[in-house]
Amino acid sequence: MAAVDHLLQARAGAGASLWRAREFARRASRGIGTGYAALDAALYERGWPRAGLAELLGDAHGIGELRLLMPALAALSRQDAGWIVWVEPPFVPYAPALQAAGVDLAKVLLVYAKSRGERLWALEQALSHGTCSAVLGWLAEASFADLRRLLLAARHGHTWGCLFRPASAARQASAAELRLRLAARPNNRLQVAIVKRRGGWPPAAIEVELAAS
Amino acid sequence: MNGARSSRCAGEAIWLAACFPLLGFEVSLAAAANEALERPAVLAENGRVLQANAAARQAGIAAGMAQAAAQSLVAELACCQRDAQAERERLGLLGLAGYRYSSRVSLAWPTAKRPNRKRRADAAPLLPAAVLLEVKGSLRLFGDGQASATALTTVQRKMAACFRGLGHRAQLAAAATPLAALALARAGLDGLPEDATAALRQVPLACLDVSAQQSERLANMGLRHLGQVLALPAAELGSRFQPPLVDYLHRLTGRKADPRQCIEPPERFRSTAQLLEAASDLDALLLPMRRLAVELAHWLTTRRLGSAALIWKLQPLTGPATTLTVRFAAPTADAATFLALSRLRLEALSGDARGGTLGEVATIGLRTGPVTAMPLSPAASLLLQPPTAAGDSDDAPRRSSNARIALVDLLTARLGSDAIHTLSIQDDHRPEHAWMQQSPAAKPSAAGQRSATPPPPSANREATSSGSRPLPGSRPLWLATTPQPIPAQQAAAFDFLAGPERIETGWWDAAEQRLCRDYFVVVAPGQVRLWVFRNCRRDQGRGEGAGPEHPQQWYLHGYFA
Repeated sequence: MAAVDHLLQARAGAGASLWRAREFARRASRGIGTGYAALDAALYERGWPRAGLAELLGDAHGIGELRLLMPALAALSRQDAGWIVWVEPPFVPYAPALQAAGVDLAKVLLVYAKSRGERLWALEQALSHGTCSAVLGWLAEASFADLRRLLLAARHGHTWGCLFRPASAARQASAAELRLRLAARPNNRLQVAIVKRRGGWPPAAIEVELAAS
Repeated sequence: MNGARSSRCAGEAIWLAACFPLLGFEVSLAAAANEALERPAVLAENGRVLQANAAARQAGIAAGMAQAAAQSLVAELACCQRDAQAERERLGLLGLAGYRYSSRVSLAWPTAKRPNRKRRADAAPLLPAAVLLEVKGSLRLFGDGQASATALTTVQRKMAACFRGLGHRAQLAAAATPLAALALARAGLDGLPEDATAALRQVPLACLDVSAQQSERLANMGLRHLGQVLALPAAELGSRFQPPLVDYLHRLTGRKADPRQCIEPPERFRSTAQLLEAASDLDALLLPMRRLAVELAHWLTTRRLGSAALIWKLQPLTGPATTLTVRFAAPTADAATFLALSRLRLEALSGDARGGTLGEVATIGLRTGPVTAMPLSPAASLLLQPPTAAGDSDDAPRRSSNARIALVDLLTARLGSDAIHTLSIQDDHRPEHAWMQQSPAAKPSAAGQRSATPPPPSANREATSSGSRPLPGSRPLWLATTPQPIPAQQAAAFDFLAGPERIETGWWDAAEQRLCRDYFVVVAPGQVRLWVFRNCRRDQGRGEGAGPEHPQQWYLHGYFA
């Protein structure tokens, strides 16, 4: 038992490779602030993983799935010189709206990759390259192994990866360290249900108030 | 020309002229020129003999003869047609070869001596083209640290050997001025700069760049050699002949400056690698490609240049060569980048064609596209920059612009250049034209317009632009590439949040680009926020179409995602 404790301490000292549930309360705020206090409080790094993979699960467009990210992307584009890469977005990310949300357009890089293989390749390259602050990807199908590869790439490149996936993907196991299910709510609100997070069981769903546009 | 002046000039510069009397033959008879010149041969242009070699002259052929007459004299006469363009190109190459010995190399292409109308057959020989080099600055290098006469001889010997290696016979001569050296070289006289004055006096007038008419007049005056002309008083010579003759003589003797245009070696890299045995295997090709890439990186680094494109040429044993162009978003001089991206391109190519097109590659050639001067290396430029706040200092090198560009290159190499875009805003009210995506390599101003949407249908013909610039209403984060028609029953369930915002502009564009729309922000069932519009019709009156319940076609143009 003492050996296990010793081992745990050694691993915990290294940082990311091991975490224990009881540390959740005194965790450091190392993540990228989401801009929503209630959501930050529920996340292990008090924000989006700075070097890791998050999944956003949902089927509908126009419920606020991008507005949820905008405060973090705007902050990243101001503070970090890295690219914000969009791999195969389903629609055109509208430049005037992005700018209105505070995102520096000079950092935005759009990548169109037709086949699933190319998409995964582009995601992995962007995540592991180390010159991106955030990589957004739209992946309908991805195996556990694919997601594991992407997670390792994100860790290696010290990049926040954010995958938009259909709601049905919630039933599959995923290597992503953070999984959120998004659901529409009236009056400009978005329900965020945490499917998986580090440092504890999923709490009750959180409702966040989105910016007006 | 007096001795004191000439010696002063000699102290300033030593010009070496290498003229190529047989250049025309050598270009035309590219291979085995030497053997070919043993037989009678002439260089002809427009049916006239321009130049005859020694064997042909013995047979009685002279320059200016009709080609047919020459052929009737010698049955087995070799007739080369003159190719002036090829000669010029070859002279340029010879000049580049001479660049090894001096940085001031200029080319002397003879001005065409127009033969006189009638009997000027023998008075207008073809003046040979020449390469002129200022070698004073290089003599130390070849004379064991001494700029001596022996050094000059060494340079001349080396240069003659160099030209001979290229297949050309050169006559070399040195003098204090380029024109004097040229005249001596053409005359086949060689003298060191010290006694060039004496040698110059012996130069026949035919070797000078004087018009045929003037040289004839000089000949009629009984003048045969340059020395006789130089002895005449310049003012009288100028009034009797044209001032250009006096000007020429002054430049020849060094009394007047003679600035020459120096050649600049082209900033292009070109190298080839021969494979010992033909290969189609990717790994086998990469080995010689690595050597070429490293060679190119050295070449670029020593010049502090970067290349934005590589052009590989894969030549199989038989069949057409494959040209592979690898482009970079920004100029670079890094061999590893060159190789990695070329490899990706090659993989994509052989992947597409299943190894069919490349064939058994025997030769690999590499040249650069246009090159540009590189900025200082990050390390060097850091020295020059004032220290910045130590914010994310560990991020700075990793996310430097070079590294960011490297990602673009990497993605482009595999996915193609039309798959990678950056975003920018356009100053236009039309939602489709308010943004633009462009290739990251393109300059923001010069980028081609690539608004992704085809023009929407628009009913009105004359539209008015709004006078002031209103703040745009809320804009969606997702824009539909083309506006999608919404079925009427779906539109009936809309909950209107904001609107109408009228966008009526584009009157200066083609009719289909003009638009007049009323935009609304609506909440559709499922709490989905949409950006929808409908076309307003001028003929129905302006206020009338604004009611949300008006039955009219709605279009979906974006999602408030």
